[in-house]
Amino acid sequence: MIGLVGLNHKTAPLAVRERLFAGCQEQANLLADLKAIDGVLEILHLSTCNRVELVASLEDAPRALGELESFLARYGGLADEEAAACLYTYRDREAIRHLFRVTSSLDSLVMGEAQILGQVKDAYRLALAQNATGVVLNRLMHRAFRAAKRVRTETGIAANPVSVSFAAVELAKKIFGTLAGRKILIIGAGEMAELTCTHLVGNGAEDITVVNRSPAQARLLAEKFHGAAVGLEALDEALCDVDIVISSTGAPTYVVTGEMVRRCLRKRKNRLLFLVDIAVPRDIDPAADEVENVYLYNIDHLQDIVDENIKNRRREALKAEAIIEEEVANYTNWLKELEAVPTIVSLRSKAEGIVRTEMEKASGWMENLENADREKVEALVHGIVNKVLHAPVAVMKEESAEFASQDIVAAARQLFRLDD
Amino acid sequence: MTSVEGILFAAALFCCSLATGGYLISLLVRRVALAKISTWILAAGFMLLALNLLFAAVHWTDWSSFGSRHFLSIYAWVIAGIYLGLQLKTKTRLLGAFIAPFILLFLIAAAGQGSDRNLVPSQWQGGLTTLHLVLAIAGEALFVLASAAGAMFLIQNNLLKNKKPGPLGRLLPSLGDLDQINHFGLLWGFPLLTLGMIGGAVYAAFVWGGSWPADPKVVWSFAVWVFYGFLLHQRLAIGWKGSRMAVLSCLGLIAFLLSALGIRFCLATVHNFI
Repeated sequence: MIGLVGLNHKTAPLAVRERLFAGCQEQANLLADLKAIDGVLEILHLSTCNRVELVASLEDAPRALGELESFLARYGGLADEEAAACLYTYRDREAIRHLFRVTSSLDSLVMGEAQILGQVKDAYRLALAQNATGVVLNRLMHRAFRAAKRVRTETGIAANPVSVSFAAVELAKKIFGTLAGRKILIIGAGEMAELTCTHLVGNGAEDITVVNRSPAQARLLAEKFHGAAVGLEALDEALCDVDIVISSTGAPTYVVTGEMVRRCLRKRKNRLLFLVDIAVPRDIDPAADEVENVYLYNIDHLQDIVDENIKNRRREALKAEAIIEEEVANYTNWLKELEAVPTIVSLRSKAEGIVRTEMEKASGWMENLENADREKVEALVHGIVNKVLHAPVAVMKEESAEFASQDIVAAARQLFRLDD
Repeated sequence: MTSVEGILFAAALFCCSLATGGYLISLLVRRVALAKISTWILAAGFMLLALNLLFAAVHWTDWSSFGSRHFLSIYAWVIAGIYLGLQLKTKTRLLGAFIAPFILLFLIAAAGQGSDRNLVPSQWQGGLTTLHLVLAIAGEALFVLASAAGAMFLIQNNLLKNKKPGPLGRLLPSLGDLDQINHFGLLWGFPLLTLGMIGGAVYAAFVWGGSWPADPKVVWSFAVWVFYGFLLHQRLAIGWKGSRMAVLSCLGLIAFLLSALGIRFCLATVHNFI
């Protein structure tokens, strides 16, 4: 069966996650130690800043799961009650669903983020390299990646930005099309402005100019982006030249007035201008927005877009859950078959073998029979064997649907001596 | 008209209806995938229409077999061709929702015309007339494209100005791309229309000499030409861009269409064949 033990940002405070993360990092042959636990057949260890999880294919599940729990508690230095509060344990269908949800980023702090898939892939690669996985987990992980891919392409969960800086980048793309070669002006030296600028540069924008009251600070920021630093007095001139302005000064009044924008628009031959004002109090006069071909967004506008996108992601998550259910059902079907099918097959072939030997033994006296009678005897023998086998096969199939076939399968193998 | 030609035309008409429907639905349900499929269907329609015109050309013996159906088909074909060519360069498939209805309109009009009806009165048939008509059509088709981009620009502009980019905004092309398409349409449409009109004028000078009939179509076309010339001038020399250009392009197209219909049905004109 499949089991999963772990903790995440919802169940455990940062301090606990940190301890566990560090504990697991320190251990060089963690996977080997885990695999050495009695009852653990295959294992995978996922560790990120938001979660630590162990996924395993187990034999004698309750005991093995308990061992895994105490393993995590030991590495994280968790007291008993702490471990009880932080750790969660899932089995079979629940465990598979949880893993698929994690991989598809439905369980993430920022739903729809892309990082987690890479982290799970890394964890799997590591387990694969150390031979910690086998046929059950290999297929499980491939199915998890498939589910994540489907969620990404079939729903809009990762479609729209859910951070203010990325929302600004999306808007810039909606205004200019491509950002390649766009010129950016940064007014002030806020962290948010820097972050937004980094994203814009990542999307192809170049040629950055920084305006600041303090020339030293302007130079510092400009150097980071290989841009130019100019004094506040050159603001008018700079406005005429650039495509995107990001403003985040601590100034108490408007740094860019509507009149300044109107004046420069004539000089810039009506080229589109995107103004991002992330300062509070505002840096750019709202009157600038009334100018033709100028698009002014302040922090509230951007936040509204982000809120709307988060709402959308929640809606899309419902679609994603349906995809997850489908993939979970796919995998469990395969897994169930894996458990009972080989036993059913060998049981049948054993019975057929017996029939064959016995018929051969009886061939001497059966030769005296009429053809029609001989066929009747053969049909009778097959009929009896099938009737006898019908009940055990049916029970194994039924139980496998409930994930409880393991004991029955083992009993059948023993009773019919299938492993001899 | 041969039966093969008729089947090809019907198939092209069917494809264009399907593509138009697909584009409009994709705009409603906000799915780009549907617009992509529509683009392929439109491309199929474009090829079928090309074959249809090829068949017509093969069986073309003289002007008397060249009907207004062919003429309107060429109109639709040129617009579709320009749009599809543009699709190779920019990924602005939603433009189809604005262009495809025009193409369909021309094709439906073409279907309503009997091809046996003589298009150009026999006394005016000749090489220069063909040149005049083809160039004027190509030029006007490009203006349709410029205006469609302008209309989309206005919608996108409105969304962005109201701080509500939303799903529709994400679906529509960026302002920059739309402005470029508008620029492209004006830049190439104007010289083509100019050459077309010169062709017509030279021809008219041959036929009528110094005194042309005071044809409302001629007068109005001249007005439209001046208007578009003015737009192109403002764009290239003064640097008008964005929303102002979009508004004026749309107004230009509406005026052009109204006049074309009005003159066609209400006034006497030597251009009454189209």
